[in-house]
Order: sequence, then structure tokens, then C-alpha cells
Amino acid sequence: MKQTETELPRVAADDPRLRDTDLRNSLITLGVLAVVLAVLPLVVNERIESILVLTLIFAIMGVGWNLMSGFGGLFSFGHAAFFGVGAYTNAYLVIEYELSPWIAMIIGAVFAAAIGTFIAFLCLRYKLAGAYFALATFAFAQMFLLLAQNLEFLNKTDGLSLPILGEESFWHMQFRQGNDWYVWIPSGLLVIALGITILYARSRPGRYVQAARDDEVAAASLGINVMRTRLVAVMLSCAVTAIAGAYYAQYYFFVGPEQAFGTHVSVQAIVPAVLGGIGTIWGPLVGALIVGPLAEYIKELLRDPPSYLEFLQGVSGLDVAVYAVLLIVIVLFMRKGIYGTLKDKITERKNQ
Amino acid sequence: MQKKLSLASAAVASCVVLAACSGGGGGGGDEEIVIGAVHPLTGALAGEGALMSAGAKLAVEDINEAGGIECLDGAQLSLSTGDSQGTAATGQTEAQRLVDSGAVALIGTYQSDVTQNVASVAERAGVPLVIDVAVDDAILEQGYQNSFRIQPNASSMGEDGATALEGIFEEAGEELSTVSYIHIEGAFGESVFSAFEEKAAADGIDVNEVTYAAANFSDATQVVSRALSSDPDIVVVTGYYPDSLLIASALQQLGSEVDVYGIANGAFDNTSFPGDAGTAGDGILSANYHYNMQNERVEDIRSRFEEEAGEPMETAAVLSYQAVEVIAEALQESCDTDPGAVRDAIADIEVDDPLLAFDGPITFGENGENENATVIVTQIADGQIQQVFPEEFKTADLTFPTR
Amino acid sequence: MPQHANAAESTSAASPWRQQARSPLLAAGIVILALAAIYLFGNRDSGLVTQSIVSGLLLGGVYALVSIGLTLIFGVLGVVNFAHGAMLTLALYFVYALTTSAGIPVYLSTLIAVPLMFGFGFLVQRLLLNKLTTEGSHEGPLLITLGLQLLIVNTLLMVFGGRPVSVPGSVDGSLRVFGAVATYERLIAFFGALLVAALLTLLLRRTSFGMSIRSVASNAQGAALVGVNVGRVYAMTFGIGAACVAVAGGLTAPFTSLTPTVGESFTVLAFVIVVLGGLGSVVGAITGGLIIGLVQTIGALYLPGTGALLLVFVVFVLVLLFRPQGLFGVRP
Repeated sequence: MKQTETELPRVAADDPRLRDTDLRNSLITLGVLAVVLAVLPLVVNERIESILVLTLIFAIMGVGWNLMSGFGGLFSFGHAAFFGVGAYTNAYLVIEYELSPWIAMIIGAVFAAAIGTFIAFLCLRYKLAGAYFALATFAFAQMFLLLAQNLEFLNKTDGLSLPILGEESFWHMQFRQGNDWYVWIPSGLLVIALGITILYARSRPGRYVQAARDDEVAAASLGINVMRTRLVAVMLSCAVTAIAGAYYAQYYFFVGPEQAFGTHVSVQAIVPAVLGGIGTIWGPLVGALIVGPLAEYIKELLRDPPSYLEFLQGVSGLDVAVYAVLLIVIVLFMRKGIYGTLKDKITERKNQ
Repeated sequence: MQKKLSLASAAVASCVVLAACSGGGGGGGDEEIVIGAVHPLTGALAGEGALMSAGAKLAVEDINEAGGIECLDGAQLSLSTGDSQGTAATGQTEAQRLVDSGAVALIGTYQSDVTQNVASVAERAGVPLVIDVAVDDAILEQGYQNSFRIQPNASSMGEDGATALEGIFEEAGEELSTVSYIHIEGAFGESVFSAFEEKAAADGIDVNEVTYAAANFSDATQVVSRALSSDPDIVVVTGYYPDSLLIASALQQLGSEVDVYGIANGAFDNTSFPGDAGTAGDGILSANYHYNMQNERVEDIRSRFEEEAGEPMETAAVLSYQAVEVIAEALQESCDTDPGAVRDAIADIEVDDPLLAFDGPITFGENGENENATVIVTQIADGQIQQVFPEEFKTADLTFPTR
Repeated sequence: MPQHANAAESTSAASPWRQQARSPLLAAGIVILALAAIYLFGNRDSGLVTQSIVSGLLLGGVYALVSIGLTLIFGVLGVVNFAHGAMLTLALYFVYALTTSAGIPVYLSTLIAVPLMFGFGFLVQRLLLNKLTTEGSHEGPLLITLGLQLLIVNTLLMVFGGRPVSVPGSVDGSLRVFGAVATYERLIAFFGALLVAALLTLLLRRTSFGMSIRSVASNAQGAALVGVNVGRVYAMTFGIGAACVAVAGGLTAPFTSLTPTVGESFTVLAFVIVVLGGLGSVVGAITGGLIIGLVQTIGALYLPGTGALLLVFVVFVLVLLFRPQGLFGVRP
């Protein structure tokens, strides 16, 4: 096995001459995004808010995954492990010690980062790359799933239910159903996660890890400690993903083994980034803006069947099937992701 | 600059999508009272979910045909369905959507984890949830004020199952000293089992526990031989449909002469089981909550259901029908379409002619559990499922021991 | 870069074909010793152990059948085929439809399902995956097969509904081996797995087509230079993988309750087995399947339910870390 090369497509390193203006542009965009997200809950109804929250959780997961797998070039197929650790740590600490979710969330992120770093260290130490790295992370996520199902203190397959306080409290992150804070909090978390991505991608460790992704041997020969720079990316990635998990538990008041560690969770971390564009700052967000509402939108179109008989014969499952076809089509025809392709096109036009 | 542009266009696009979503969202007209039903309509449990949804729909049609809610000037009911896809998060989003579209009450959801989530939505929104099927005790242990369960919970089924089993042995004049109990891993199997074991141990019966995991369960031979290795007087099985079917045929293949008794079993009282199992199903007993075959109303509903849906109406679908009836009766009692008022009415309700074989009318205790929910024992005889125990629900005589 | 990616996998894919005689024998020896130890010191009823071994081997045969298809798809093409279990389900429903609506006996239906699934696999690779595979992309095929999995499962749901259905069996009865029970249907599946493995090994080793698969696996660019139609070989390989899954579906249909999601749990296990056995190694897939089957049933004697499965993943991670070429591969 030659693991000197990662098998992820490379994203062309940004032209150094553009770097500073790029940073400014990115921060301006982030600011605009923050404003949009702040206003959005005021203008949409509750129903859409719940879709929005799900979309935001997807986006945070995607941003987290992208840090490690997009910028770091380590394709993780087991981000459910870190999402789940975040969710369970949050739920457990809130229930057992009545901690504030704000603190529990940070503890969960630190915990997930430690676990992720350990797993990544093992994999890198034994030179796993590409599909093998993906399978190893997948196996760890499955082990966490089985552990959660069997551990008494995590309530086995029952999962953990968070207590409902009955009064609104920012400190305990509990509000009346439909309170705008339920959108503002994940919006804030997403903006922070994106901010981390922007700054990290421009920082020295961030540039090193991208160099190591594009050519490990060259990077090492330039004196970059490849292992260490990669572990930094993993650490950030796991922490961000764990935050998404913690908020998931907090918003849904519940976390069980499947919700935390199921394979579909790992998939949900990957899909937004890939659809939007791997290794780009805005890709995961663009992807999440599509994935989050898409299933709901199709479902809405197909709802209200004329009579339940027809419904039984035909429509059950159609929404997911349509969603699947769209997924395939997007991956086939926009291989750099929607944002990546758009960005390329615009750059091309500019250069002409 | 290009980043801002593309981001802006993405934001615009998503706003369009979101706006389009909201367009179709509205519920029925003003005069219609909306009941929300959350069931797994896609995913692994889609088959059961679709039948339950159909059961609820039939109840709404029947009530409307009979003149709607009388005290509200014959207001008509309408059912809004939600698809949980078998996952807790989707179940919650769907429940929220139904509540936002003006549902006065919710029913659902078949799975315990999804129900737990929907119950938390109901609690925070102050809308009553009538649980048709969901077995886990934990759902109502949160002290929720807005959730009510019609079926017996896991531990009461375990306990009642043990009592009925002892009764059967006594009636047959046989001695019951050793039980081998095969159950699926996870909350459902474990809570039924531990309640059974507690009751059995108190009565001096030895219980040998054998567990299996639902994932990758494709061969029951080994599980069954573990169960038979302790030379039991009876094999008790708690599990879902496919695994119970495998267990029944493995018992036959191993030439077992021990009788089989299901508790809260997903297969043994299902109408397609005798056909699927063939001779392996003969004589199998099942203690479960069950629709009451002796009730003529049940017979009528089930035959009309089968005519329309083309599939037999199983107990789960009957429970969905029952859940809608409970809500309709609460609407009549409270004479109000405010969810809070409906909730209070459900808490005090007494439904006299339950469709299920229960000990008495449906009434809910402080904790939201139906106080008269219980199990009855059915047996497969000549490819038919018959009610055999206790005496008052009997449609055929108990054959025991069968082998 | 793509040729690097393929070379990395094919070194381990190619070597078992040369070196496979010794390692499986060694593994078999270890397994037999372990089983003997369980009989002697395991503190479990010996009849029960025998039944567990028989059940484990028969279960392992089913796993092996499913994994043989994946070892080609993942081993040769490097495609993380997330739809593998869904393809199994598709094959099962093909057989179900043929037996129930056309009244064709189940094993004959299997023979019809094989070319159907071959065509399906061929088209999937040709139309959806080839371009991405030749580029050496991992996440592209993974996402495509993920979409495919959702599509297959939900299309089956639309057509057949979600209630469990069963295929009428054609061979009743069972055999007693040292007091343990083995049904004929499971024995047929078991020996069917061995037969498929033998045929496939012959195909890969003795035919010119097998030669081209191996050459593409070890160096796609080189193979293309000497005139091999790489795209076509890829498509044929995926087709053969799908055909193996069709055999697996047909042979397991008589004792499986069919739901649209029945195959999903096999996806994960098949990956474990394929890596355990060594990518591209047919013998490895058989041995890996049998070992995992035994670990599950024997493990169940000591660990409740999913505990045995946890053991499987621990073994998997250890193999990935310390012997990524698989138990029967040779470290390059």
C-alpha cells in the first residue's frame, strides 16, 4: 500500500496575491450571512424554523467534516462518532449534573476532539489512507453505536431524554416552542464554525495541512510536521461536529444510539460538503441549504394524496427516491460541488 | 466578490424553497377539526405505518359520516398525516408541522423512540398526544401531562403475560417450574422480560434468559437450541415479526416438543403469521393486547378496512382507529377545539366500548397510562387465530399442552 | 494519481491469487484449535457448541456469498459500494417476483436473476461510476452508491410495500450433523457459496477476461496502454459482483423474511469480511465470512446479543491497523 498520496481531488491553492482581499471578502460574506440568519427567524413561520434548525445542524456538521476531510484530506466516514459523543456528553451532563448546556457543549467538544485525535493518530500512525481511513473511522462509529446500545449509564437503547423545565432560560437553553432563540443559537454556532474555518484556512497550520493534503512528501521535505498539522485539523473538525451533536440533543430533548451514532449521521455530515464543494469555505453551507429543505420540499409536493388507497399503492417512498435521484445527478454533473463549480465558472469568466 | 454573489444567490434560492414549502402547509378549512397522525410511512416499518395511518383515516371517515362532533354543530374531522420515516428527528419535525398547521391533538407513532420525541413536542406545545402503539415504559415516566397511552406498556405486558401463563398451566393441570425466555435486545425486549421475570421469580419459577440482536438475525437455530438446552416447560418469545417467524421454524426444525408462548410478540397474533409459518405455527400461544374479536363493531370496522385497503386490519391499525375515537369523544365532552381543553377532557375520559379486549373502559391514570389496558391470550388453531384465555374473551377452547 | 490509488489496492488484490494456499490453511488451523479449546474449557454444553458451530458456518456461508461480490467491486474498482446490501435486497425481490407471480421455482428464479443483476451492475458502473472510478475519486462513487441505495430501497417500498413477505421454499427438511440441525436450504446456500467461489476463482485465473481484470486491478493505465478496454472491464467487474449478489439473494431467499431494508445490515458486515479476507481475494472472502459467522454464534454463547458484534468491529479495526492487506494478503 502506498499511502503517500491522498485520493481526494485537489482544490487549487488560492493565488497568494489574492489572499488578503480574499480574507476580507470572506469575513464580509460571513457578516452578511450573520445578518441574514439573525433576521430570518423574524420573517418565517414556526414550521419553517424547524426545517431551518435542521438545515443549520446539517451545515455545522458539514463545516466540521470539511475541516478534516476537505482541508485536511482525511476522508472520514465516521463523523457520527463525534456528533454522538457531543450529543451524549451534553445530554448526560445536563441530566446528571444539571449543568448548563453551554458548558456541557464545550466539555463534549473537548471530549470529542480528544477521541477524534486519538483515532486519527492511530490511523495515521499505521498509515491508513483513502478508503481504508474511511472504513476505519466508520468502524469506530459503529463501535460507539454498539457501546451506547449496551452501556447501562447511557440508558442503553432507550437513550437519554432531557428534562423539560417549563420556564424559558437562556442559560439552560430552553425556550417556548417556536422561540426564535432556537434558530439564533445554531445560527451563532454556525457563524463561529465558519469563522474558525476562514481563519484556520488562512493560518499557518491551515496552509500546512492543505499542502500536506496536496503532496505529503513535498510538505514533509519542507519541514512540515505532517502528523501534527493533520491532528490539529482533526481536533477542530471533531469539536465543531460535537457542537452540532450537543445542540441536536438540546433542540430535540432526546438522544438515542441511532440518532447519535447511526450510519445516516455520518452520511449527513458528508453530503452537504460534497454537494456544496469539498475543501471550500462556503461549500458545506450551500450543500446544507439544499439538503436540509429538499427532502421536506419534495415531501410537501407529494403530500395530500387524493385517497389513502392510492397512497398505499404508490406514493410511500417516492419522496426519498426523488431525493436519491437528485443526489446522484448532482454528484455526476457537478463534481466539484455546486459552490465549487459556480466559483470555477465565475473565475473562468473573469480570466477571459 | 464572487463569493458574496454565489452566497447571495444560494440564500435567495433557499428562501424560495422555504417559501414554497410554506405555501402548501395550510391545514383544512375553518370548520374542520384537524387531528395529526405521525407514523412511519417510509423506511423499514412503512408497512405497519401505512396500515395504522389508514386505520386512523377510516375512523375519521366513520365519525364524519355519523354526523361529526355533535356538540360542535356537527363539525367535521380531518386527518393530517405525517411521516416519521422511522426516525426520531423526522418524527419531531413532522409533529411540529402538524401542530403548527392547527392540529388539536396528535396520535402516533408505533416506535418508542419516535414517540418519546413526539411526546416532548406535544408537551411543549400543550397539544395532547394519544399514543396508539409504543410500548416503552419510559415514554410516560417523564411526568408529561399531555401524553396518553391506550395500549398496555412493556412492563405491564410482561407481568400480565406471566400471570396469564400461570393461569394456563393451572387450567391444564400442568406444573410450571422452568421457563426459557427468548427476547430481542434493547429496551422493548428487556423491559417486557424483566417484568415477567420479577413476577415469575416471586412465584418460584426458574427463568432462563436468551437474547438476540435484531441486526443480522437470519438464523434462529442457535438461539433456539440455547433456549432448549435448559429443558424448559415452555419457551417464551418476545420479538418482532421476522425474528419470531425464524424462531418458530427453528423450533420445529429442532424437533422441539415444548410449547411456545409469545408475550408482546409481533408475529404470533398477526393474521399473516399462520400462513407464513405453516405447521411451525400450530398451537402457538400469544399474550398481547389484541382487538376484541367478539365485538361486532370491531368485526364491521375490520371487514370494511380490508375491503378498502386490501389488507387485513391488524391490532395496531385498530389502535389508531381507537385513538381517533378517544380524541373525538374528548372533543364532544369538552365541546371545545382548544388543545388544552381537549387534553383535560382526555384526562377525564371514559370510553365505554373499547375495540380492544381490555379489562374495562379506557380511562387514563395520573401518569397517562390506560388503567384497564391488558393482554389476552390467543392461539393458532387450524391456521386461524383464536382468543382462548381468559374465559370472558374466549372464541375457541384452549388446547394445552399441544405437543 | 488514479493509478497510484489503484496500485495501492491491487498489490493486495493481486497477491492472494498467488499466495493464497498457505494463509487460509493456517487460519483454519487456528480456528479449529480455538473451537477445540471451547469444547474442552468453554464450560458450555457440548451439543450447544456443536449447534453453534454448525449455525455459525452456515451463517458464514451466507456472509461469504454476499462478500464475494463486494471483494471484486471494492477490491478491483476501489468503489466503496454503499448500495451492496440494497443490491442484495433487489435480487431477493427479483426472485420473489419470479416465484410468486410467474410460479417459477426459487432456484430456477435465481438463475434468471443472475443475468438481470449482472446487467444492472454493468449499467450502474458504466453509466454512473466509470468516470469517477477512473479518476480515482472515493467520495464520488460513495455518494453515488449512497443515492443508489436510497433509490433501490424506496423503489422496492413503492412497488412491494413495507410488510414482510416470504418466498415459498422448495426444499423442506433438514439434516442432523453430530446432533446439530442444518436445514437443506441453508446447506444449499452454503455449498452454493463454495461453488460460486470456485467458479469465480477459475474465471479470474484461467480466462483471458480474468487476466484483463487482474491487469486492470494492478495497473489500469498500463492495461489501457496494451489495449485493454478499462471502462468495459470495470463495468464487467461490477456486473460480476452484482451477479454474485444475485446468487446470494436467490439462495438465501427461501429462509429470509423480505422487507425493502432487509439487505442493509449486510453492507457493513460485507465490508468487514472483505477487509478481513484481503481485498480482491475470493478465498479470503469465504474464509472471512466463515470466521465472522463463527465469531457471531460462538460469541453469542458468552456475550449477550450485540456484544458479539462489538467483537467483530474490534477485530476489524485491529486488522485495519496492523494488517490492512487482510488476514490472507501479503504486505507489499
